[in-house]
Amino acid sequence: MKKILSYLIFLVCIPLAIALGMAVFGDRQYAFAAAAVAVLSCIPFFISFEKGENNTTRLVIIAVMVALSAIGRLVFYYVPGFKPVTAMVVITAIYFGAEAGFMTGALTALISNFFFGQGMWTPFQMLAWGLIGFAAGLLAKKLISSKVLLCTYGAVSGIAYSLILDLFGVIWADTYFNLSRYIAMVVSSAPFTILYAVSNVIFLLVLQKPLGKKIERVKDKYGI
Amino acid sequence: MKAFSSMHPFVLMIYFLSVLITAMFINNPIIQFSALFGGIAFCGMLTTAKQKLSDIAFYIPLLILISITNPLFSHNGETPLFFMNGNAVTLEAIVYGVFIAVMVIGVMLWCKCYSLIMTSDKFLYLFGRVLPKPAIVMSTALRYIPMLKRQSAKVKKAQKAMGFYTSESYFDRLRFSLRVYSVLIGWSMENAVETAKAMNARGFKLKNHTSYSNYKFKTVDFLLLALNIALIIFVFWGVGSGAVAFSYYPQITHIDTSAFSLAVYSAYLILVFIPFFIEIQERIKWNCYRSKISALHTQRMKKEQ
Repeated sequence: MKKILSYLIFLVCIPLAIALGMAVFGDRQYAFAAAAVAVLSCIPFFISFEKGENNTTRLVIIAVMVALSAIGRLVFYYVPGFKPVTAMVVITAIYFGAEAGFMTGALTALISNFFFGQGMWTPFQMLAWGLIGFAAGLLAKKLISSKVLLCTYGAVSGIAYSLILDLFGVIWADTYFNLSRYIAMVVSSAPFTILYAVSNVIFLLVLQKPLGKKIERVKDKYGI
Repeated sequence: MKAFSSMHPFVLMIYFLSVLITAMFINNPIIQFSALFGGIAFCGMLTTAKQKLSDIAFYIPLLILISITNPLFSHNGETPLFFMNGNAVTLEAIVYGVFIAVMVIGVMLWCKCYSLIMTSDKFLYLFGRVLPKPAIVMSTALRYIPMLKRQSAKVKKAQKAMGFYTSESYFDRLRFSLRVYSVLIGWSMENAVETAKAMNARGFKLKNHTSYSNYKFKTVDFLLLALNIALIIFVFWGVGSGAVAFSYYPQITHIDTSAFSLAVYSAYLILVFIPFFIEIQERIKWNCYRSKISALHTQRMKKEQ
């Protein structure tokens, strides 16, 4: 049932939204389509989390991971550019599964924007961080066993996050894919992209082992 | 004094969605300027004088920046004004840059109003029924954030008191932050399990548990919702029929001034100024009550004398 529902959303709603955008919004149809796809693709993940087997303890621990990655922005206020959000999302995904990873990514974006300001970037951030978490959850076994793979994943996801958000920015401003603006945006944000990638790697290296230990300990102690 | 924010969350959500979607995706200068002015008027009612000044200092340079940069990236348009590095700078690209800046700033202002009005409790009230599990994760996380903030301040003080990491170098500060963060993680994991046990003990797992909410759907909510839906359907009808169609490239088209398109523009103008009027009405009422109270007060003073 849950699978059928999420497929239905993909199969019906997305083309429907794009068709509606073409009919009504004319010139800005691509911007509308991009926003509609971002919002609608989050829905099946939320539904499958709703239907999935999650007891109270798991729910609260995921909530704590969301709170920790949101608060990470505040604790690391003293060191600009270094933010543990992606690392926390990846670690949650590794230990609690792909769906929990998506929830942590998407909800961290949503919640931290209640403090830093909501905007048209919110659905895109939710989708980008959510997908980073989801993919990490699918690759969980390989990521736990190999440090090199984990670091590569952190670096790639930092770069991908930046590239994806720039892509949406261009479509939003220009109504089509304007290559010269995209290149300008990518180049001007390159220092931040590199800093994201490097800080993801450092945070994953530093946090994965102690945090993994703590999670395993709590799992053992309380039998989750 | 936020009269608009006391409306039912569902009505507010529909209102913000209709304004944001139209402001973002309708390519028409009159619609975009209406959204901007509506956003300025509403934001002006919600913010203090100091916030207004800092907003002006932020948005005006942004407006100029976006308008200037567009002709550098976009060389569409039929009317070249001059050539720069072999690329034409066209009139259309400059005009489009100004309108895209107006659109971006209008949407940002409306998002700001959304953040101020649609607080997280209203958001949770709306989605808690449809998706209870994601909603409980979200509300628990929101409750943990202030708690973790307090706890991290305590941990920091304790670490400083023990004499760790007192130098100002970048690496020391980074290691200090990491240590505090690690302590915080350990503490909150244990805390989370305790919270979960407490929630279960109080019957969170039971099927028919209720949740507290303080919102009632009143007549005024119904009226606002009906007005909102009527206006937005009319605007979409106008947009779909092409009455307010407008394009910047390859040549700037004329703005249609037929009776129908003027009606569409006025409908949109009413839509974006609804919250402003509600706030104004509330202020007039408030001043009226205040003057009544002070009149009563002076009367009583005279009697006592």
